[in-house]
Amino acid sequence: MRGLLALTVLALGTAQAAPLTIRFLDVGQGDAVLITSPEGKSVLYDGGRSEARMQTLLRQYGVQGLDLVAASHGDADHITGLIPAVTLYKPKFFLNNGIAATTQTWNKLITATQKAGTQGLVARDQQVINLGSVKLTVLAPPPGMPRGEQNVNSVGLLVQYGSFRALLTGDSETAETAGWLKRYPASFLGPIDVYKSIHHGAANGDSAAWLAAVRPRNVVIGVGPNNYGHPTGAALNLYRKVGANVFRTDQQGTVTVTVQPGGKYAITTERQGGVKPAPAATPTPRPQPAPTPVTPPPSSVYYPNCAAARAAGAAPVRVGQPGYGRHLDRDGDGVGCE
Amino acid sequence: MDREHPTPPREDAPPTLAGPMHLVVDGIEGTVARVELPDGTTADWDLASLPRGVREGDVVRLHVEHGDLEIEIDHAETARRRGEAQAQLDALNQATPGGEIDL
Repeated sequence: MRGLLALTVLALGTAQAAPLTIRFLDVGQGDAVLITSPEGKSVLYDGGRSEARMQTLLRQYGVQGLDLVAASHGDADHITGLIPAVTLYKPKFFLNNGIAATTQTWNKLITATQKAGTQGLVARDQQVINLGSVKLTVLAPPPGMPRGEQNVNSVGLLVQYGSFRALLTGDSETAETAGWLKRYPASFLGPIDVYKSIHHGAANGDSAAWLAAVRPRNVVIGVGPNNYGHPTGAALNLYRKVGANVFRTDQQGTVTVTVQPGGKYAITTERQGGVKPAPAATPTPRPQPAPTPVTPPPSSVYYPNCAAARAAGAAPVRVGQPGYGRHLDRDGDGVGCE
Repeated sequence: MDREHPTPPREDAPPTLAGPMHLVVDGIEGTVARVELPDGTTADWDLASLPRGVREGDVVRLHVEHGDLEIEIDHAETARRRGEAQAQLDALNQATPGGEIDL
């Protein structure tokens, strides 16, 4: 069910022209944002953590082609879904932060990109990419970010269409946003109509100083079941304090922003969720659902049996410890080979 | 079936800790590490179960030695993979166009 929540603001638009569409895809715990211009040009900014899920979503939304894919950074929950996207659509460009990851997932993505004949596009600060009539401005990682950390080297993207502005900033942490605050005037950063929550609402993502510059009117959190406590109460409080409406893909499914020429926009959600517009007054913390338990190491790295675990001196082996497998834990109490 | 009994070995059986294997730390989220397993999937492990000082991108080697499970950061393998991956990405990015781009 769609169209349950709609916000209409800003200037008048021309109803007959095709809109800009930005979909914050429900990919579970991860980020994926599909941008389609009025001219039918498309960009996929991050791809979530599942190849199959992304393939389903690309079919569901009738994607005919992709002109550019972007990896905000190299973590698996952002790049895995880019693999089928690149393979299926052979986009012209692959925007990235220039820092390779060491995972098989990364290797698979780069191999697929090479096979597709896609040109790598390392992020250059404030480079403009015209997606038809939609202007994308690249926010490259600021100088001084440690190269060994992907999050703080996230590539940001500012989307502008008429007076409408959206901002996507990957899993940036406060070190990176502090760098951007030094680099950009507040008039460049905000106000933002639709803003992707940093790092799925982690505690080390958004900050009061950053949001004071960005001034988001609406925040979309790309989040699913996770063991990390995302989104944190701290992040949700920050969004409330700046008076932003909050949307969550875990509760509302894919969140779609439709922007008419001139900048008038509406936000619709795939399903009705529990998120309500933020109050103007000082917010009170909302109880957070308990995080799901950390999953045990899966069967690919288990001890084959308790004899092997005992031979290795590892018995008893507990949930969360390497070598644990459910087949070793007959009573299911999280301790195997007791 | 008693699940504690070992299953018969199969040709396509997944690898076990009988031999060394490598994991990659994809990300660290507080006290949880997201690791990429040998089959390419990811799982969340307690950070405390990995070697102290492990960082994102590190390759971690698990093996049984003299009956003990050894878990250690494989710095050489980390450097090898990082170097190869970076060279591959640099080649992909080599012809990055400057200026404004029209798609």
